[in-house]
Amino acid sequence: MSELILQSLYSGLLAGGSYALIALGLALVFGTMKIINLAHGELVLLAAYIAYMAESMLKINPLLAIPLALIVVCLASVIVYFLVSKIVKDRELNSLLLTYGVGIVLTNAILLIWKSDIHSTSNEWFQQSLVLGSLYSMNSEVTFFVVSLVLIVLVWLWLSKSWYGRAVRAVASNRDAAKLMGINPRWTELISFVLSGVLATFAGVALYSYGVIQPELGSALTVKAFIITVLAGAGSIPGVLLGAVLLGVVEALTTTMFSSALQELTGMLLFLLVLFVLPNGLFGANRRRG
Amino acid sequence: MKQYRWMYLAVAAVVLYVLVPLLLGGNLYLMSLVVASLTIGGIALAWALLGNLGGMVSFGQAAFFGVGSYVSALLTLKFGLPVLPAMLLGGVGASLASLAMLPALRLKGPYFALAILAYAQIFRILAMEFRGVTGGAGGLSGIPQLPTVFGFDLSAKVGGYLVILSIVVVFLWIYYLIRKSYYGLALKAMHESEDATRVVGVNSTLLKAMMLLVSAFMTGMVGAFNTHYINFLEPDYAFGSSWTVIPIIAAIFGGYRTIFGPLAGAVAIYMIDQLIFKNLIPNGHQIILGVLLVLMIIFCPSGLVPVLVEKFKGKTHAEA
Repeated sequence: MSELILQSLYSGLLAGGSYALIALGLALVFGTMKIINLAHGELVLLAAYIAYMAESMLKINPLLAIPLALIVVCLASVIVYFLVSKIVKDRELNSLLLTYGVGIVLTNAILLIWKSDIHSTSNEWFQQSLVLGSLYSMNSEVTFFVVSLVLIVLVWLWLSKSWYGRAVRAVASNRDAAKLMGINPRWTELISFVLSGVLATFAGVALYSYGVIQPELGSALTVKAFIITVLAGAGSIPGVLLGAVLLGVVEALTTTMFSSALQELTGMLLFLLVLFVLPNGLFGANRRRG
Repeated sequence: MKQYRWMYLAVAAVVLYVLVPLLLGGNLYLMSLVVASLTIGGIALAWALLGNLGGMVSFGQAAFFGVGSYVSALLTLKFGLPVLPAMLLGGVGASLASLAMLPALRLKGPYFALAILAYAQIFRILAMEFRGVTGGAGGLSGIPQLPTVFGFDLSAKVGGYLVILSIVVVFLWIYYLIRKSYYGLALKAMHESEDATRVVGVNSTLLKAMMLLVSAFMTGMVGAFNTHYINFLEPDYAFGSSWTVIPIIAAIFGGYRTIFGPLAGAVAIYMIDQLIFKNLIPNGHQIILGVLLVLMIIFCPSGLVPVLVEKFKGKTHAEA
């Protein structure tokens, strides 16, 4: 039993890596524009399907699809930004409805292009198991966990060190003051959407490499990403990573101990628990929600 | 204008209750579309009540719809309750389910919306997992039909139409009464500034909770109607996302801040979707609805009904 638990802790940790990528993308946009992009999960899924297309049609490694997926997903993300910035009044409420609509469009576009079948990778190396002592995983899981960590560190460095990264944080904390300091808030918002698209791309390719994809998965991904940002609390990148790992571990433990059908349920319950008991998140700054 | 109001309503009642069944009653396909669009309209109305009066965006109407469906179906199947009271209890059941969401009222804007979305998923998973009660993924079949009242068979297409029409009309009336009442005024003030409304002594959380209960009741009862109308139920259907998606688009299209907008929007959207879009793109026709939602939010966020009313009024003024 303890071996099983150890194994689920390990699997959960590995799943947490790409969960963190999805959540970070969502959190970046939420930070700069104070809107939740409800189509974020669909952007991730779009990248996953492009990887699938590359593998099934061009017979190449799904990793080679990343450049194309980057272009498509970032473009889609930028389109979402332009649509959102067109909203005249009641932006908080209307942006939810608008991105919800974009999500419906993307889900159905995926359905139209790639049909409703379930897909997973046929790449042998990705599926081979990697044994670490008594712990098992697929090559792809470990690969993408490392990739996720590297990306998260890069984003963290970018946000804390580079001029644009600091501009993004400035806009997030006070848009008007940032504008007076000579920062163009529209540029920084656009940049945060592009970066969110980049993170979604890698998360999507990771998702395809070790999991199964289907058109309806998008909104579940968005909800997961949102759960993680709630667990993390506002404005904390290590918090996002820890929240993602926590969600991954809780899901893996549920699958091991109960059933995979209840996996989503425990994630939700964890989310509601944190929302009501610790509204600032587990690692967040002392700030009230709303 | 005022003295004509009753005349308008009487004409509308005659058209809806007499002319529509007489003209369309023979065409079963068209009639089933009308019934389905009114079902969507009922949910759209409940969604708009929550959004307009309560200021809350709900992505979880499917949860209320599903709970209402299951409560009514199980009460009639397992306890032999007559269909009509069971439908009412279906609404009550959905209200009770919404009690579990009350803590979410502390949250605002996106947090509330996403919490409700999470609740909807939880209810769907629960319905799937508690096989002993709900029949699990296999579903329930042989759910009792709508009864025959005073020699009038409500389970036929025209009968079903009259039932859902009456439900929706009563909901419209309730919505109107709430909006006109003291609560409506307080809710309107809350929309402007919740803090200021609290200061003058309005219990805003209680009011929002009441709106949530009413909205859940309406959606649950519509779900219960639908169950006895189609006589079959499974979790993926009853808790399906289309019970959330189409009503939202319908309400936005018609104008969710008006009373008739959501209903008019539902009939228009559902008819166009089924008669045109579904034929153009059999699989994935919701893509057009998604595009429509995006366009409406950008170009006409208050919906078409207010715009049309404005135009109509402008014309009559010009003539006078």
